[in-house]
Amino acid sequence: MAYQSMVYGFAFLPLCLAAYQIAPQKWRRRVLLGFSYLFFWLLSGKLIVYLLGTTVFVHCMGIWLDSIRSEKKKARRVLTFGILVLLGVLAYLKYYNFFVENVTGIFGNALPFTLAEKKILMPVGISFYTLQAIGYMADVYWGKIRAEEKLEKTALFLAFFPQIMEGPICRHSDTCDALYSGRPLEAENLTNGYIRIFWGLFKKKVIADRLAIGVDAIFGNYTSYSGFMVAFAAVAYTVQLYMEFSGCMDIIIGSGQLFGVTLPENFRQPFCAQSAAEFWRRWHITLGTWFKTYIFYPVSMSAPVKRWNQYGRKHFGKYVTMLGTSAMALFPVWLCNGLWHGARWSYIFYGMYYFTLILAGIAVEPVRDRILQVFHISERSVGLKFMRIAKTWLIIFTGELFFRADGLRAGIYMFRSMFRNFDLGNLTDGSLLELGMTKADLIAVVVGCVAVAVVGFIKERGTNVRISLDRKPVFMRWSFYYVLILAVIVIAAYGDGYQAVDMIYAGF
Amino acid sequence: MKKTKKIILFLLGFVVLLWICSTGIQVLVRNMPGSVQGRSRVFASVSEEPEQTIDVLVAGDSESYTSVSPMDLWKKTGIAAYDCGQPGQRIQETYYMLKTAFKTQSPKLVLFETNTMFRDPGFLKNVQLSLTEPLGYYFPVFRYHNAWKALFDGPGGLKNSYKGFEIRSKVVSYEGDEEYMKETKEKSEIPQIVKIYMEKIRKLCRKNGADLLLVSAPSPKNYNCKKHNALKEYASKHKIPYVDMNMNYREIGIDWKKDSYDRGDHLNIHGARKVTEYIGKYLTENYRLPDRRNDDGWKEWGELADQYFKELKKI
Amino acid sequence: MEKLMNILKEIDDSIDYEKEKALIDGRILDSFGVITLVSELEDAYGIEIGASEMTPDNFNSAEAIYNMVIRLQGN
Repeated sequence: MAYQSMVYGFAFLPLCLAAYQIAPQKWRRRVLLGFSYLFFWLLSGKLIVYLLGTTVFVHCMGIWLDSIRSEKKKARRVLTFGILVLLGVLAYLKYYNFFVENVTGIFGNALPFTLAEKKILMPVGISFYTLQAIGYMADVYWGKIRAEEKLEKTALFLAFFPQIMEGPICRHSDTCDALYSGRPLEAENLTNGYIRIFWGLFKKKVIADRLAIGVDAIFGNYTSYSGFMVAFAAVAYTVQLYMEFSGCMDIIIGSGQLFGVTLPENFRQPFCAQSAAEFWRRWHITLGTWFKTYIFYPVSMSAPVKRWNQYGRKHFGKYVTMLGTSAMALFPVWLCNGLWHGARWSYIFYGMYYFTLILAGIAVEPVRDRILQVFHISERSVGLKFMRIAKTWLIIFTGELFFRADGLRAGIYMFRSMFRNFDLGNLTDGSLLELGMTKADLIAVVVGCVAVAVVGFIKERGTNVRISLDRKPVFMRWSFYYVLILAVIVIAAYGDGYQAVDMIYAGF
Repeated sequence: MKKTKKIILFLLGFVVLLWICSTGIQVLVRNMPGSVQGRSRVFASVSEEPEQTIDVLVAGDSESYTSVSPMDLWKKTGIAAYDCGQPGQRIQETYYMLKTAFKTQSPKLVLFETNTMFRDPGFLKNVQLSLTEPLGYYFPVFRYHNAWKALFDGPGGLKNSYKGFEIRSKVVSYEGDEEYMKETKEKSEIPQIVKIYMEKIRKLCRKNGADLLLVSAPSPKNYNCKKHNALKEYASKHKIPYVDMNMNYREIGIDWKKDSYDRGDHLNIHGARKVTEYIGKYLTENYRLPDRRNDDGWKEWGELADQYFKELKKI
Repeated sequence: MEKLMNILKEIDDSIDYEKEKALIDGRILDSFGVITLVSELEDAYGIEIGASEMTPDNFNSAEAIYNMVIRLQGN
């Protein structure tokens, strides 16, 4: 039962809402927990034992860590143990086959023992709830929060059904109050939640699922395409991924809102970013925040890095020290970012790609500032902003090309083929229509993207779309809602001739 | 309370809009043949038939519309039949297909091919179908929504359809066991969801004055004795006549070397004509269905039949 | 406080630290700025700032930073 399915939005959610409202306040969090486990079980069946195991383990670790908070050294060892266990399970499920494949690939038969690849079933959402679990333990260790005493509370924090498949990755302090309080439903939350859900459906079903047809056609048969068509595939996939992921996020955050739970936002107009680093502060924000909180800062505050900092500033000056510190703190972040997406060399490449670009961005900063100064170009000039955004788009599209390609080798092949036979004429000569999308499909995609871009532009200017809609007369507001809902019903890609497309991020 | 009232008002407005859109899209569908493609096609085409002209509805999955050829039936018996099956039709779809057809037609007999009765797509899909099918029935905009694309792409091409039947002349023999109906005491299980919807289908037929007839088309790939036993038990329990042509396919004249379309899954045109002849005989013997060959209202059927036999000569 | 202001000015002198109340939330100081600041603070005040202190609340204004330093000195 994917979030974009009819059953989720119009059978599962209403049932859960009804049960929630009927239940006495104290029981409401148990209703949420029950439905969360039902949801997980419908998706993963028996694999729910992983979630249950993690929950019990993390709960006990939390209490333990809380009780020994004053003994810093011991607490540190306990935390390390907890993290290693969770990462161990994740690594085994996610990377075992990758490891075996590469080890046997390198050493061949020289190994004294044989490693066989195994068929491993991974429970859905493990990459997401494991990070939340680690964050929870670290927060208890740091004394930011007290450990939950009731198992059901820890369980709900980890398993809350809207976010279990694709995030957003929450910190305990983000959601706990609203999750546990069992506040009664409110009409305003219900309408706002459902409107947000429809907005997500619009992005996912009108745009992403249509583009999926063309994107799959090119990436699935990449040797037959070159030049403009490959470039088109890179752009189309980026748009697909954004519409898909941010659309599902709208459905998820909307679902949370129905129950009065405010989940953290995961996107903030990523295509307005002016650098690769800024892009990652606007795209999959909660993953970036998690890495910053639990990897970047701890690494940059660690003794070796601090020592380098002091030593470097004495001997090499500020610039080199800064660069060294950045490299040391950023490398693990981007390695983890790549690996987190899955066990493939192309993902590791993807992580290193951004590591290199962001580090390069830091390295050239002084030079860039100098150039701007010499030529009297203002930081705020529109032309400069435009150039930077264009540059960032190129970086994003290229990154996503490698990300989507069927392996690193395919990625390199596609990247190179992009510079062969590049012909803008493909845009109008019907090549696009040979990918399985009709003219009507392309029109729907373009119109949909324009609608999303307009809303994004309004948001970027600092207007809260919701609030400004509320200020409009009822007639206008309702018309907007009606158009949105009918657009989803009429032009969404479902029914005859369309296959349901799985959520991409649920696979990570 | 004011907010609740507002929400109800909003939803009412929404229903009205849905109704308007549904009417609009139906106008589009009617005026642009080929604007509905794929599985929903037959819903549109059966609705487009002139009112009260169909006496027998043939329902079911692909086994149904590859086995009964209305034009052959017409030529031999004058019975006006229509194939309204869909590929891989689920039982929920069968029910709403019939309901849709009953809106404009008053058939005297519903001939239901039984292969659908063993389809169980699982709990979630069943819930989904039980939601989407009624929506598609009451608000056709859900079923035909992709028709808007025809405004930009133009209508899609349509194969010649003879009252829901298409001529499939390919021959891919069935080489397997000819004794696939070997007797056994075991029974297959008819899924719960099918039982629920069969109940609804029976009630629907009764209300509309149509008899229900269960038919199993010859198909070694889909049938065996276990299924036969289950269907026979079901039919006798509910007093529905049941014809299993797998039991006497030799008598009907099916030759698995020549009459199969795809290794014993579906019949090709040769097999379909033999089955249709057998069914024609069965219907004239057991039911009093009108012979429309000389009725003025059915002239178009005669013309279509001529076209059909002309096309047959070409193969 | 004056000592702190000098340190802050050295990291980026284009910021009005007396008025600014959202150094982190407003993305005025980036994460590298914060790291440099932390090592400067550790040197200047002889304190140790752990990863757990890395929250926006602790760095959003000069006053907040000052309060954190005082708190850590007290430990």
